[in-house]
Amino acid sequence: MRWLRFAVLLCLVTVLQAGLLAHLENRPDLLLILLVFFAVYYTTPEAIITSFIIGFAADIIVIGSAMGPQIISFGLFGTLLAYLNRVIAIRRMPYQAVAIFVTGLLTGAGAHLLASLKGQAPTPNMYTVLFTSSLYSAIIGPFLFLPSAWWMRIKTHRFSRY
Amino acid sequence: MLFTWFILAGLIVLFAPQNITNKFQFAFARVFRCPLSIGRSISLSLPVQQPLTNGISRREYNQLQNHLANVTEQLNLKHKELEDLSGMRIRLPLAGARLLPAGVIRASTRGLQSELIINRGRSDGLAKGQFVLGDNSIIGTICDVANREARVRLFTDPASRIEVKIPRLDVVRLMQGNGSNSAKIPMVSAIDYNIKVGDKVFARSKPGLLGTPIIIGTVAECRKDDKKPLLWDITIKPACDLERLEDVAVVIMNP
Repeated sequence: MRWLRFAVLLCLVTVLQAGLLAHLENRPDLLLILLVFFAVYYTTPEAIITSFIIGFAADIIVIGSAMGPQIISFGLFGTLLAYLNRVIAIRRMPYQAVAIFVTGLLTGAGAHLLASLKGQAPTPNMYTVLFTSSLYSAIIGPFLFLPSAWWMRIKTHRFSRY
Repeated sequence: MLFTWFILAGLIVLFAPQNITNKFQFAFARVFRCPLSIGRSISLSLPVQQPLTNGISRREYNQLQNHLANVTEQLNLKHKELEDLSGMRIRLPLAGARLLPAGVIRASTRGLQSELIINRGRSDGLAKGQFVLGDNSIIGTICDVANREARVRLFTDPASRIEVKIPRLDVVRLMQGNGSNSAKIPMVSAIDYNIKVGDKVFARSKPGLLGTPIIIGTVAECRKDDKKPLLWDITIKPACDLERLEDVAVVIMNP
């Protein structure tokens, strides 16, 4: 794992998500795509660490919201996905798209549940936004794995289960 | 073991006071201010097909400018007459207010939260609850303040509640954002009030925060509520283009 490259990639994706994509009504969640990428192509301990760090990034870009729900939700489901990847190989693009979609729904629902525990009021169109965001992420996510793999200097056919 | 430690850290962050955790979020906005602004500028510069009705002719523009000048002069004249008659010095509603200009660092006008991050904060005199103007209309209120940044909750945000008035009918209600670049005014009787599309909606004055009613939007849609046919379902659209705002002004009363 090249941690410096990971830090640069995370900063870039976080700024893109918070700046360029923020005004779009239906937007993919680039941090979610990154979460699935690291859970699929890296070892389980690396996937756990990156999941929590990506969750932290997802929390800091929404100013005024409660911090913590995304850290826990991304960390939990990223870890589960990494363990699942040890049993079921998520190598083909359609499987990766399904993994992104399901992880998006679960992390979103988990984060909102935790946010409501902290007293944050739920928004009326929450599930519509969650569904569309997960769908868009699932569509473009597998294609973004290729530049991410190039940047992280890994081969996409490399597959680690440990 | 690694997972347990991280979950524990996450729980600590979750239950930490929000004024402490907000500092991380404002620090992110401060550190990445430049790339965030560039990203926003790029997204705003993308070609968008504008309807032709958005443009007005020079002649119409001049007519409106002349009308504004005449109305302003008539207002000043009436104000002077009132002062002469009452024998007291009366200030115009916003005469004692300071309009603090601020740049928009980041904007999110659709989705779960409708908000702006602006480059002014506590050190500039900003405080929670102050009204924010965009293109001379109310766009929202300050809801979080850091030392050099602040978060503006737009009135289209689902968590926003602003008291408004429709002057034509003298209706006062609490307007709620609905998260899709518009807001709703609930509980308006369809029997008592004849609301029309295009009616102007004003934010009501609030002691210490807003000295006079200021336009906030117009009625974009008005139909009978499907669930409660005796009430109107009123949709309000903003008086300015919230998505393309680059500068705003914060109303600071009696600075």
